[in-house]
Order: sequence, then C-alpha cells, then structure tokens
Amino acid sequence: MRKLAKWTLVSLLLVSLTIAGWSGYWAMSQSLHSKKPLIIYIPKTVDPTIEFWVVLQQGVMTAAKEFGADIKIMGTQTELDVDGQIRMLEEAVASKPDAIMLAASDYIKLVPAAKKVVESGIPLIMVDSDVQGDLSRSFIATDNYEAGRTSAGLLKEHVEPDEKIAIVSYIQGTGTSLDREKGVRDELEASGYHNILTTIFSEGQVQKSYELTRDLLLKQPDVRGIVALNEPSTVGAGKAILNLGLQTKVSLIGFDNSNSEIRLIDRDVIQATVIQRPFNMGYLAVKTAVSVTKGQKVDKMLDTGSKVITKYNMYTNENQKLLFPFEDELPSK
Amino acid sequence: MKLMKLFRRRSIHMNIAIAFSCLIVCTTAILTFSSYRLSSNAVTSSSIQKTSQLVQQVKLNIQTYIGNMESIASLVISSRDLMRYVEATQAERDADESMKRGASQYLRSVVESREDIASILYVNKDGDFVSDQSHAVMKSRSEWMQQDWYRLALVSSQEVVSPSHVQHIFEDQYRWVVSISRKLPASGRSQEGVLLVDLNYNVINDLCRQIELGQRGYVFIVSPSGDLVYHPQQQLIHSELKSEQMQTVLDMESGSIKLGKADESKIYTVATTSFGWKIVAVTYPDELIENKHQMQTSAVLWGVICLIVALTLSIILSYALTKPLKNLEMHMKKAERGNFDIRVDIEGTHEIGKLARTFNLMISRIKELMNQIVEEQEMKRRSELKALQSQIQPHFLYNTLDSIIWMAESGKVDDVVEMTTALSRLLRLSINKGEELVPVSVELDHILSYLTIQSRRYRRKFTYSIDVDEHILDAPILKLVMQPIVENAIYHGIKPKPDQGHIQINGWKENDSIVLTITDDGEGMDPEKLRTILMDKPRASGGSGVGVANVNQRIQLYFGHDYGLHYESEREEGTVVTLRIPFIQVEVKGNEEIGQMDAG
Repeated sequence: MRKLAKWTLVSLLLVSLTIAGWSGYWAMSQSLHSKKPLIIYIPKTVDPTIEFWVVLQQGVMTAAKEFGADIKIMGTQTELDVDGQIRMLEEAVASKPDAIMLAASDYIKLVPAAKKVVESGIPLIMVDSDVQGDLSRSFIATDNYEAGRTSAGLLKEHVEPDEKIAIVSYIQGTGTSLDREKGVRDELEASGYHNILTTIFSEGQVQKSYELTRDLLLKQPDVRGIVALNEPSTVGAGKAILNLGLQTKVSLIGFDNSNSEIRLIDRDVIQATVIQRPFNMGYLAVKTAVSVTKGQKVDKMLDTGSKVITKYNMYTNENQKLLFPFEDELPSK
Repeated sequence: MKLMKLFRRRSIHMNIAIAFSCLIVCTTAILTFSSYRLSSNAVTSSSIQKTSQLVQQVKLNIQTYIGNMESIASLVISSRDLMRYVEATQAERDADESMKRGASQYLRSVVESREDIASILYVNKDGDFVSDQSHAVMKSRSEWMQQDWYRLALVSSQEVVSPSHVQHIFEDQYRWVVSISRKLPASGRSQEGVLLVDLNYNVINDLCRQIELGQRGYVFIVSPSGDLVYHPQQQLIHSELKSEQMQTVLDMESGSIKLGKADESKIYTVATTSFGWKIVAVTYPDELIENKHQMQTSAVLWGVICLIVALTLSIILSYALTKPLKNLEMHMKKAERGNFDIRVDIEGTHEIGKLARTFNLMISRIKELMNQIVEEQEMKRRSELKALQSQIQPHFLYNTLDSIIWMAESGKVDDVVEMTTALSRLLRLSINKGEELVPVSVELDHILSYLTIQSRRYRRKFTYSIDVDEHILDAPILKLVMQPIVENAIYHGIKPKPDQGHIQINGWKENDSIVLTITDDGEGMDPEKLRTILMDKPRASGGSGVGVANVNQRIQLYFGHDYGLHYESEREEGTVVTLRIPFIQVEVKGNEEIGQMDAG
C-alpha cells in the first residue's frame, strides 16, 4: 500500500512538471511568436517623386505599426507598367501573404490577376483604384466621381458656361481617371457647359502634360478653363499656363498636391486643387486588411473624402500638415 | 442537504480528498488573484510615475531650449550691426545700402553658427526688413502682417512662441518652424518693430520622436490655444481618424488622467512649460496589460503547480488518515467471517487507535464467551452421559440380585458368596467418586467382576480369559466402557449359540495408543447389523439399554475421532471389538487436563 502511494506521488509530480513545462513553453512561444499578419502592398508606382504614393505609404506604415502588421511593398517604377504590376501581383499570390492591398494601374487588365488572388483565398483590399467587377473585400478610395464633380464646381466659379474648357487626364483606362473625368463632364454638362474639348492624357508625367497643354493653349487660345485630374497633370498644365503668361486668362483646377502645386497656387496659376487624403487611404487600407485577417467584418467601400484647397485656406493649421509634409518624411528629390 | 448527500455516498478517503481539494482550490485561486492584482497595480503606478518623470524631462529640455533661443534673440537685438539698422531712419537706410547688408551678414553668421535656427528676421511697421537671407523674396506686406508671429508679438510685452507652422514669409519657401517673435518697442528714433527667430521644427520633432513609451505610447505638445505643436500622428489627427482629448488636456496643469472606454483607454500625463506649451505623454494601459498577461500567465502557472502539489498532498494525507480505518475494516470483515483469533495492530492514541483497542477487547471477549459456550455444552452432554451411566446400575443390579436370590434359594452358598463379592466390587467401582477416568487395571477389575457375575448367571455358558500387557495397567481409561461390549458379546454372541462360548480380552500398547480387544466366538453379526451397530440409535432389542454406540460416542467425545470402537464380525465365527484410546502418562490427573488436551 505504501508503495502504491509512493508511485502515485511520483507520477503526480511528473504530470505536474510536464504540465508546468508545457504551459511555460506555451506562454513563451505566445509572447515570442505573436504572429503578425503579412500584408503585401502593391501601389501603382514606387516612384519617390510622386508625393501621393509617398504619403499613402506613410499612412500604410503608420497603420502597420499601430495595428501590428508586416508590410511588404512591391511596385513598378512607373504607373504605366501595367504588365509589371500584373507580374508582381502574381508573385505576391505565390508568396501566400495574409492579405494583399492593390492599387490597380488598369481597370480592366488587372482583372484576371485579381481573380487569381481571390481564388487562392487571399483577401484582396483595393486602394485608390479598383478593377472591374466586385472582387475585393473592401475598396478604400476617394469617391473619385464626387471629387470630379467638386472640381468642376470650382471651375464654374471662374469660367462662364459658353467658354471653352479642357480636361487633362493622366492614364487612359485607370479607374480613378475614368471616374474623375466622368464626374467633371457630368457636373459641367448639367450646368450648361457644353464646350468641353476632348480629353488629353499626360501619362502621369509633368513634362508630357506641360507639352500637351502648351500645344493645346497655343492652338486654341480661347480655352478659359482647365481641369487637370492628377498631380503631374496639374503641375504640367500650370507650368504651361505660367510659361505662356496666361494665368490671368486661364483658370486651372487641379488634383492632389505637391510643393510645385503650392507654388503655383501661391502665384495664382492654380485657382484650387482637390486633394485626396492619401495618408488616410493607406492607413485605413491596412486597418481594414488587419481586420479582415482577424476575420472581422469590414465595410465594402470606404470613402476617404476629398478637400478643396485654395490660396485662402492653405495655411490654416488644419491644412498645413496635409499640404506640407515635413522635409524629412519625404525622400529628397 | 444535497451536499451532505454527496458526501454520504462516497468513502471517507474520497470525502477528505474532495474537501481538501475544494479548500485548496479556493485558497489558491484567491491568493493567485490577489497577488496578481497587487503586482499589476504596482506595475501600473510605477509606469505612470516613470511617464510623468519623462514628461518633466521633456518639458525641461524644451524650456531650456526655448530659453536658449530667447537669449540668442536678446543677443541679436543688442548687436551693433542690427541696432544701427533699427535705429536708422528710412532716408538713412535708403542712402546707405551697406547698413542693411551689414545687418543681414550679422544675422546670417548667427544662423549659420546654429543648425537649429532656420532664419532670423527683423521687420518694422513700415515694412522695412532685414533677414539672414539676402536673396529670398519676401511676400507682400499685407500678407505677413496678418501672420500670427507678427500680430501677436505687437500686442504682447514678452516673447511669443508660436505653435509649429509652415513659415511662408518668403516666396517658394515652405518650412516647418517654431517661431519666437519679440516686439522691439519704439525708442528714440527707431520705429516699433518685431524680431523673429524661426527654429527648425525638426529640433522639436527629434526631441519628441525619440521618446518611446511602450509599443504605441507617444508624446505630443499642444499650444495654449489648442493647436498642436508636435504630434507624431498629426496626419491622423488632421484627417480626423484620431482625436485627442484636447479640452481635458488644456484644462490640466500637470498630472495624469485616464480617459476613454476600457478597451481604448489612454493615460494622459501632462506637464506645462513656462510659456504655456503642454507636454502630454500618452500611454496605453493595454500595453501594461500585455505585461499583465505575462504576470497572469506566471500567476496561473504557479497557481496550477501549487494546486497539483497540494492535491497530491491531500490525496496522500487522506490516504494516511483513512488507512487505519481501512485496516480496522478489513479485520472486522475477518471477524464477520468467524475468525476471532485476530488482533488489530493500530498504535497511537488517536480515535482510531482507541477504536481498534476497543475492537480487540470486544473480539477477545466474544472469543471467551464462545469458548465458554462450547465448554458448557460439553458439560451438559457429559452430565447426560453420567445420567445414562447411572441407569446401568438398577437394571443390572435387579438381574444380578435376582440371580443371587435364585442361587440362595437353591442353597449354593459358594456361588452366592462369589456373586455377591463380585457385585459389591462392581458397585464400588461404579460409584468410584464419580470420576470418569480410571486406571485400566480398575476397569479390568470391573469387567472381571462383571464376567464373574454373568458367567454365574448363565451357568457357565461361556468361559473367559483376560490377557493385558501390564505396561498399560496404570494408564487411564474411561470407566465402564468395556462392560456394554462384553454385555453385547454375551447377550447377542454367546447366548444364542447352542454350545459353550469363550470371551477373550486382550490389551496392549500400540505406538501412543492403548488397544483393547474383546473377542467372542459367538453367533457373529450379519453385515447389515455390523454396519449399524455403532450408529447412535435407540436399541429395540433388549440389553441394558446402553448401547455400544454410546460407548463409542463417549470415547470419541473424550479423546477425539481418532479413537473409539471397531467391530469385525462374521456369521457363525464370532466378533472382534477393538477399543482404541490414547496412551496417557500416569502423572496425568483429573478430568480438566485431559479435556484441554482433547480440545487442543
């Protein structure tokens, strides 16, 4: 009987030691390997000179730190490299991340690759630019159609209905440009502005925009209003106006912001610019992606809103930080 | 009630173990929880203390820094180059270009000597200005006159420290700065003006950004007007993705406050600088909770270990407590089955020891009583036998006296004498102090007397001879065991036989036994009779009424079943009865000791 008790004691002690060891190991592994989700972020471009994407990335990184996610950025050098982006998206799928955030550089061409993402079971979050068809778990962007209408509304303050209006878009086929242009045209036509020229495309390059706008203004000197649908287009168009000395005659409504744009606003070349909130986009995209990886329900569509900046409100405390990034936060140009 | 039922069902061992376990679980849980609470409170308060120390440090740093800048401003003001420019009239300035150039050069040398100064500017009410930047184009007067650094400095008697902002005095320059501006009152010839020192915002930025408060904590600075001077997540605040409890912070002079709901609560720790900026540290109690998680884990871990050890001990303890009880129970079971030769060996003065002693006492008492009952039963039987024995006498006596009468009537005096002598000896032996055991010689005497009487009565119908080993003559034998056998031999063996018979009695020692044989050459018995002769049945056919079966029973009762009578018989040939009793040494005296030996 005494032997039995002894064995019971020994076996109980062994069991307790095993439990203790196991739970200790468990606690350690929990604290060491608290797994962060890996999110692959594919912007339209990793070009460091385009402030929009740089700020969006800041939002991504801020959110990644706050919500605990590992971010891997894959991107092409220019927004035009659609095939490059498709290739990268496929690579991203192959590396099996917990989520993919994509800003599609083409509304149609990215569809098959995006479908692959969905088929492989990886949650797809679209940022800024969507693809055709309802493929993503959530789409985080400015309501571009609404932003287009806003910009048209601003132009109406400077241009009479019968005067000629030009539109400088950037890349044919990308979702955001299509929406913005449609917004601009709908708003203008609804208010009786019918003299709208064929859209010209800057391909997202300042130089091209400058050249095309300059040619246009030289050929058609009676153009009184221009809407430029993204930052390089705006800067190029502004430079063309400035170069031709037409700033008092031609009104320019731009999109997004940069130091170049601010200088042009300060010089009264640009009357107003519709800025998006790229930081918010990036931040909310990561927040949404992390929520998705945790299996939480997310909104199908998140409008990050837009804001009108004119010469008169650009130095308010509220807008300063949106317009003027701290020098050290941007890569030197 | 239910609880009681629960306890009644199980064994005491189980109950003790369960009760102990419940107690241990409760105490361990309470201890674990309270120790966790205590240490988690300690962690929280120490972290708050650490944070407030940090905030004080940041406050001092910034205060010292701004103080330095103010003294630089004072230095600049009192410099000769600048004073010359300030005190000159409009006309003099226009006349002497070198005056402005000299002042500008001086300011530039100051700015270049300090990395943290972005620019220094003097401007007077007329719009005349001098700055360190000789080439920059200043914006129109109407624009900068509206700016805070100018407006506020004019109405204040002290230095004005602005929140961080984009300085846009010069064309194409958008620098983030913190402005220190100071009114230079009109004195003598000089106009009222403002001296502006712009500090690189990066200085503040660097100062605050390095501070780490856990994973997510941070420090922000807010001006008295509620504008953010520095916030690491300024973008989020301006985008309205996040908000700080600005009003609460502005109302606080210093100290800590916990705000927000349980999940998203923040701890604000505030310190206020001499010029009104509030340094605010934001920490997340969640992060402390992360620490708490570790504490929880370790608390639970130790709790579990203690629990297991304690449970083991409780099982062993309950086993140790109930072991004597089980032991006692086992012995009781034995007693239940009829074994009274047990003793429970439980030492100790505790209750179970007492119980065991009482049990032992009880068992030995029961054993005693049982023995007593057995003995009493035996006594009873013996007395019954004695009664039977005493029945022999009158029956036999009557027959014998009848014979004597008959002899006396026919005048056979010798025969009468012989008969009477034998009878008197027989009676004397029968009475014999009532003892049961007599020496073999006495029994033989008795049987001789009996044979004498019977041979007389049956007119020498038979002869007899006795031949017994003299070694056994002193050994004890139950008395009157041979008479019924001899009687049987005469009545059933010799008497029906037509011619004269013979009865032979032999005796000898065989190993530790005495063997006596009574042999007759009478009718003998058929096998049926032989089989039933020793059975204890009332005898139908005559005789003394005391059968040989009784004799056999008496012998076996006294000496055990190894002893007794044995019959061998054959029709027309005769019968041999073998009587076997133990050989007992002569020293042995009395009934008691023999009886004891028998029982053993």
